[in-house]
This record gives sequence, structure tokens and C-alpha cells, in this order.
Amino acid sequence: MYLNILKKDLKRKKTMNFILLMFIILAVMFAASGLNNVLTVMNGTDYYLDKAGIRDLTVVTMGSESAGKASPVLEKTECVKSYKIEECISGTQNCIRHEDGTKTETKNNPLFQSISDAKLKYFDKNNDVVRNVAPGEVMIAGNFMQNNDLKKGDKINITFGNVQIKLKIAGIIKDAFLGSDFMGNTRFFLNQADYEKLSSDENIIKNNLCNLIYIETDDLNAAKSAIADIPGIAFTGDRSLLKMCYVTEMIIAFIVLILSICLIIVSFVVLRFSIGFTISEEYREIGVMKAIGLKNRKIRSLYIIKYLIMSIVGGIIGFFASIPFGNMLLMSASRNMMIGNNAGILINIVSTIGTICIILMFAYSCTGKVKKFTPIDAIRCGQKGERFRKKSFLRLGKTNSKPSLYMALNDILSAPRRFMTIIISFFICTLFVLILVNTVSTMKSPNLISTFGTESDLYISGLDSSMELIGAESRKDVENELKRIADEITAEGMPCKLSVDIQYKYKAASDGKEILVSCAQSIGIRADEYEYTEGSAPKNKNEIAVTPQISETFGAEIGDTITIDFGSEKIDCIVTAYFQTMNNLGELIRLSDEAPADMKFAAVLRQYQVDFTDDPSDKEIESRKEKIQNLYDNAKVMNSAEYCMDCLSVVPAMEAVKYLLLLITVIVVILVTLLVERSFISDERSQIAILKAIGFTNGTIVKWHTLRFGIAALAAAILAAIASIPMTDLCITPIFGMMGASDIRFNIEPLRIFLIYPAVIFAVTIAAAWITALHTRKIRTSEATNVE
Amino acid sequence: MSKVLTAKDLCKTYIVNKRQNNVLKNVNFSIDEGEMVAIMGPSGSGKSTLLYAVSGMDSITAGEVQFCGKDITKLSEKEIAGLRLDEMGFIFQQMYMLKNLTVLDNIILPSCQSNKIKESRKETVHRGEELMRKLDIISIADNDITEVSGGQLQRACICRSMINNPKIIFADEPTGALNRTSSDEVMDELTKLNNDGTTIMLVTHDVKVAAKCTRVLYIVDGNIKGEYNIGKYENDSQIRERERALNNWLMEMGW
Repeated sequence: MYLNILKKDLKRKKTMNFILLMFIILAVMFAASGLNNVLTVMNGTDYYLDKAGIRDLTVVTMGSESAGKASPVLEKTECVKSYKIEECISGTQNCIRHEDGTKTETKNNPLFQSISDAKLKYFDKNNDVVRNVAPGEVMIAGNFMQNNDLKKGDKINITFGNVQIKLKIAGIIKDAFLGSDFMGNTRFFLNQADYEKLSSDENIIKNNLCNLIYIETDDLNAAKSAIADIPGIAFTGDRSLLKMCYVTEMIIAFIVLILSICLIIVSFVVLRFSIGFTISEEYREIGVMKAIGLKNRKIRSLYIIKYLIMSIVGGIIGFFASIPFGNMLLMSASRNMMIGNNAGILINIVSTIGTICIILMFAYSCTGKVKKFTPIDAIRCGQKGERFRKKSFLRLGKTNSKPSLYMALNDILSAPRRFMTIIISFFICTLFVLILVNTVSTMKSPNLISTFGTESDLYISGLDSSMELIGAESRKDVENELKRIADEITAEGMPCKLSVDIQYKYKAASDGKEILVSCAQSIGIRADEYEYTEGSAPKNKNEIAVTPQISETFGAEIGDTITIDFGSEKIDCIVTAYFQTMNNLGELIRLSDEAPADMKFAAVLRQYQVDFTDDPSDKEIESRKEKIQNLYDNAKVMNSAEYCMDCLSVVPAMEAVKYLLLLITVIVVILVTLLVERSFISDERSQIAILKAIGFTNGTIVKWHTLRFGIAALAAAILAAIASIPMTDLCITPIFGMMGASDIRFNIEPLRIFLIYPAVIFAVTIAAAWITALHTRKIRTSEATNVE
Repeated sequence: MSKVLTAKDLCKTYIVNKRQNNVLKNVNFSIDEGEMVAIMGPSGSGKSTLLYAVSGMDSITAGEVQFCGKDITKLSEKEIAGLRLDEMGFIFQQMYMLKNLTVLDNIILPSCQSNKIKESRKETVHRGEELMRKLDIISIADNDITEVSGGQLQRACICRSMINNPKIIFADEPTGALNRTSSDEVMDELTKLNNDGTTIMLVTHDVKVAAKCTRVLYIVDGNIKGEYNIGKYENDSQIRERERALNNWLMEMGW
């Protein structure tokens, strides 16, 4: 008999059962893909670095002189358990051109390496290990192909020294060490024969050879101290630093993670509602079953079996849908890295089973209402007259609004729990989109400039001279070059002065630790022109400012000392201030203008900063930007907002993720609206029929139903817009903190936050509700007499 | 007397499981202004279908329905809705009302939607209250519909059907869900309305209810088998005699 009742139920209430099934599928899909993504993101970089074979410490040395000197140092260092060395050639930013001769864009100098010399594992886009590159072909890491609009099969020309090679692009390669956006040096993997052509030029070998050293150690600090003796070190990074370099990918992955959690919350909120809703609509059947003598337990088990069947069917469909859906979410984050987890599909299975259990739990708790139903419910259509709480909140007689608007508003106020589901779902979705909008808009604004340097009118990168200046004899040479460029620009009618921030690599020691750290000192900008979060700018030779990361590394606070070995002398420097920077992921010391920094130790010359001396307008600055760009064809000229975006290479990816998430949000909003509105229509058939019978037109009824969703979406949008400001700070500041900046002034664009994006979600809701509400046209007036 | 409603060769056919079911077969009748006509007949004879067909609530398969000279079968959905809102009133067996509205708001809802009567919302409320007072249910104006008795609710439905001053009220077994006392109260109100000039067409199984009408149409298998003109009901002293006469006629009809 139960089976028959069940079969009849599934058949007769097709719409509601279909809606419930859809919610179950969505919940399983979101939960399974979401949980898998959470684990993937949590283990993301470790999983990737382990698979690639990255060990505890990675070092880059420059120049042929240092090439053979690393091995002896490492051999005699006891704490070094093993090491691997790869050989590369460092090119210039202009040495790679498109097939038609136009220049390509690289953030820093490219590195060329033979795939035969690979000591790490490098992966193709399908995450298979790359072992060979065919002669005449090249595989490229990072975003080079994307940034230069290149695809597999396109050709590039490499002209370096006396060597010229034409190579066909064989595809993207995932490079665990240099593939992240923060590393900036794109690695090109060639066939051994092509690499030998490059290395046949003696000058190239002499000036541009570099070694990448991967060290396994059980004492990181001892290893760091030991390698300080290797000459020509351009980069030292431990595993945690390399992990941090994937911060941009991880930001996106974390955003996907937050989205997944939001989707799980939304799906469970909606699922809980729809189970509760369908059960409360069963009062008639339950009442009849009670009237004929069925026990509560029997009635309850009947519904639980129904939900079990539906959740198993929905679970299976949701499980299969979760795999491509999860991959789609992670796609933007996994372009440059291999994202995965060791549990794989098992997570999806476990979360599917978990979701089914939760659905059954909901069903169990919702069927608890069965106890409250009596046979009278069957007779009186669910109304026993025992409810004393006022249902109607507004009075039609006291308003002048049209009945459709009044009924919509009154319905929401009379059944707030029912509409709260929609408001919560829309609030979560809208809030998430707005947080991302705030983040991207901050990243695209000059608000972050103080975390990269000082504000100037323009910034120039990629000038040929900047690479040569790294090897300059003295600061005077740099000053002269800056003056020469400033004169060139001034001669074009744009009076200006140029400045540059230089990062040196010095051994610094404190609290028994001695490590190589980046120390910054500028030419043309005084140390007190930078922003400090606490303390005062370093003035004397023995004063420095440190970032919180450096402070933590050395355990040195304001007033403590860090000994810096400037080569010519060792100075005990007093920490006078803290500052925040996103350069070097926050690991930086700022020297005073008096510190004896020597170009011999220079590692990085940042962008040239141009400050016009004739106080031009913003419009004029933009026009001058174009002029300077024309003057230096190979360079990249940027205003401060563009400079921030250039430093934060995550912006284009974030922008893409923002639109992807907006799309997902819109789809979720459409689905929730569609399914909930169908539930409402199903519940309100007789009321709709009554309204039609007394002369309400289809248009008025559609308007009434659409307005309810409109009001709910509007409330959600307003709440989300208001909450987005503190929530952006709460959620996104820790992410910027990972990059080195913990005190961020977010750029809130009221037009976007309070109008454009809420309007998009509001419009989508209205459209979805309106289209679904058109279904009410099928309800005939004669259904007014149908008790159900 | 002008004709308010005329049905000519009215047919209604349902197709159920590919089987044709002719519910109404060439029905012809008319109702004059101020009449109170009862439709009686055995269950499944097509009484309610006839009511819904002539009121424009349901479509017809063939024939013509003239309402105040207008053929409603030729009107659009929107125009028929307009007629139902402004010129017709409806009372059902179950006292259907919107559950989130108070009794008074349910009553004035059609008037707020209508453009027929130009008045302020305050005046609409006043009219609604007047109607409630007339039907002696003013005390439940601000109550939720779940807080009142069936008889009160049905009287509220009568108020709702009256709020736009309709030309005709259609009632489908208005006392079917009520006990005798409530049923009498409701019928008293309907006869009062009729005496005031409102045309009423109602479907009923109850001889006592039909006895208060001016005319009774007896329908069997989708055809009007006969009609009985009882005349205007004026006071309670006539009721027994009218019932007896009607019963006799109904027995002749095969009731």
C-alpha cells in the first residue's frame, strides 16, 4: 500500500517533486564540487610543489663566474641533504618578438632552458609531465601566451646576441618555480639543439648564464646562512616564499572557495525551505491518513522514504554534475599551476553521501510536523482556527497602492520566513559579487600605490637601460642615466625629474639568524617620502625601517637592531619604523638615504618614476603618457593606477573571475527564483483562481507574483550593498595581508556597489520571476472550487 | 424587464482520456433583471459547469452567451476579466479568500482593483464597512479569515461579491458548506439583495434555498429538462407552501 501511495504521490505532484529534485541536484552539485575545491585550495600549493619536486630552498645565481661556485659550497654544507642545479640563459625583455616583428610583452627578463636539463617536473595543460620539446618548438610558462595573444602553433622570433631562432609554440608549460605571476620571469623550454644555438654565443654565456639551484635541507636557517657565501645570488627563496608567490592564484582559488561555501549555504537554505514547504502542503493527505488510523511513525516513514528515493536520484545526478562544475570553478586558478588533491573524486562521493544524509535529516526534522497535524487539517484545509498571531500586517484600506503591490508587500510581511529564504540566498550571492567588485576596483585604483612605492605622475618599465644599470659601477651611473632620460623627456616639452627605487641583496643578522634580505634605497626619492605605519622614517646611516614580515623573521621590533653587512662595513642598524609593501611579498628593509648601499649588490631596479615639474593637469599627464610611450617604443609607460595593476598581475584574472562569478550568481538567482516561484504558484493555485474569478487579469496576477520577488531582491540588494563595505574589509584584507599589505584603503565605487551590480541581479530576478509567473496564466478560474 | 443573461445553444464538451464527455448540450435559457434563478439537478448533471460557462469563468465549446447584450464568448480574456470585476459577483461553496488579508481587505480588494467606481480608498473602506454592517459582520472586519466562522465568512464573500455593485451575482452552492442556521442567514441576505434589485443565479441542492428564488431550472444530463416559476419570495410565511410546491415539481422532474 505504501508503495502505491508513494507512486501516486510522485506521479500526482510532479511539479513540486520535480522542483525538490532540482534543489537536491543543486545542493549535491554545489556541496560536492565546493568541498572538493575547499580541499584542493587548502592543499593547492603544497600539492603542486610536491608534484613538481620543489624542495626547501631555491636559489638563482647570475653570471658565468658564479656558475661553478655553488656546488663546492653546497657539498661542504652539512645541513644540505641534496641539491639539483638547472642551467638557463637570461634574455632581455625585447629579445622575443612576434613572427611579424612586433614586440612582445614580458614582465621581467625571460629565461631559456633546455628541457633535457630539467631537474624538476614540468607539466603541460593536461597536467602530464613534459619530457620532450621537439626541435624548432618551444613550451612557455606563465601568462606570456595569454598576455601576448599567442596560441599553440603560433611562431615567435628570439633574437639575442648574435643568435636568431624562430620557434613554433608547442603549448603552455606549468613551471612550479617561475610560473607564478609574482615571479615575473617567464621560462621558455627549448629542445637541447635550439638551446645549444643560444649558448654558442660566448658573450651570452659570459653575461647571461644563470643557475637555478633547488636545495633539500633539514636546517633552513643554516642552509640560508651557508649559501650567502655563493657569489652572484640574485634570488633566494624558501618553500614558504614560493608558496606565497602563488598568492594570486590562491586569491582566485580562495574566492572560488568562498563562492563554493556560499553556494553550499544557499543550496541548503533553499533545500530546507522546499522540504519544509512541501511537507506543510501535505496537510490534507496527512490529515486523511491520520483520520483513517495511520500512526505518526508510519506516515513519517512514508515521507522519509520518498525523500530518500529523491535524494538518491538527485544525488547521483548531482554527483556527476559536480565534477565538471568544480573543474569550471577552478579553471581560472589552475592555469599556471596544477591544482588537485590526493583524495580526488572520493571527496565528491563522500560529500554526495553527506548531502543525502543532510537531506534526510531535514526531512526527518520537517516531518516532525506530522505529529501536529490532525484529521481536522484535512477537513479544514490546514486551518484549525487555533492561530492567534496576526497574519496580515498591512491594511489595504490604509494604503493607496495598487492591489498587486499591496498584496506582494503584505505577503512578504505576513510570511517572512518563507521570503527570508529568498532574501538570504540573494543576499549571499549579491554580497559575494559586491565584495569582488570592491576588490577588483581597489586593485585597479591608485589606492595601493603606497604599498608599492611613492606616488608619481608616471612610471616607466622595460627600458633597455634598466637591465644594464643593474651592473652599474656606482649610484652615480644610475643618477646620470636618470638625468639623461629626464633631459630627453624635458626636451620634448615635458619638464620632469626621474627617480628609481633600487633593491639590494645584503646579508642581515639578528637574534642569531643571518640571511640574505632585500634592502631598498631610492635615487631621487627620500626615505621620509615613503609611508610608514608606525615610527619615523630612517634618517641616519644606522637606521632602517622594516616590514612586519622582516620584523617577525628577525624578532626585531622598533628600537631593536639588525646587523647589515654592506660589503664595505657591517652596521648595527636600529629599527625606527614599520612599513607595509607588496614588493617581495612584504620581505623588505628600507635603508636611510645615508646608508652605504653599493650597486655591486643591486638585484632589482624598479620602474623609473617620472614627476613633472610644471604641475600638469591629469588630462595633460595622460597625453604625456602617450608621448613618452612613443618616445620609448620598447618601454611600458603607466599612470599610478596602471602601475598598481602591473605590480598586481592578478587583476585581469580577478576581473575574469568577477564576471564568471557574476554569471554563476545570476544562474543561481534564476534557479532559486524559478524553483521557489513554481513552489509558490503550486501552493497558491486556488487563491490565483479566486482572484481570476473575481475579475483580476492575468497581468495583475503576474505583476503581484513578480513584485514579491522584486521586493525580496531589492531588500537583499540593499542589505548586500551596505554589508559589502565592512565585509570586503573583513574578507579581503587578510588576502592582501598575504601579499604584504595589511592596512588597505578599499576603493568603493558607489555607482557600481549601490546601483549597477545590484541592478543587474535585481533585473535578472524580476525577469526570472516574471517569466515563471506567466505560468499562472494556465490556472483556470474554475480551479477556484478545487479544495487543493 | 430587460434580459441580463441569455444562453443560446450552449454546449460544453470535455475530452477525458480521449473520450468525449458532453456536459452541456444545447442549453437555452435567459434571466431577466431582478430575477433570482436557482439551478437544480442531480450530481454530475452540469449545474456548476453551466454557472461557470455563463459567467465567463470557463470557456464553452459552442453556442452564445449574451450578458447585457454583449456576447461574452467573443470577448478577450482581459475583457471578460473586466466584466467579472465590474459587472458580476461570485460566491462559492467554500469561502475562498486570500489568507494573508483581513476580512475587510478581502472584501474591498475587487473595488481597489476596479476603475468602475471613482472614489478614494477611504470611501471604498467606508462602503466595505457599510456592507459588512448590513450583513451584520462588522465586528470581524479586522480579523484574519481563519478567525471567523463559516457563516460569517460566507457573508463576507457576499459582501465581496457586492462591493462593485454588480449587475448579477453567481453563487455556486453558497450554503453547501454551512449548517442550517448559517444557511438561513446567508439566504436571507441573498433574498434581501435580490429584493433590492440585484439579479442572482445560484446552483443548489437544497430545496429550502431554491424555494426562496423566483424561478428554478432543472438540469439533467446537460439539458434543461424543465423550469418552474415560483414568483417573488416576499416573506417567511410563504416558505412552507413554496417548498411543498417546489418539491412536487421536482418529484415530477425525477428528483
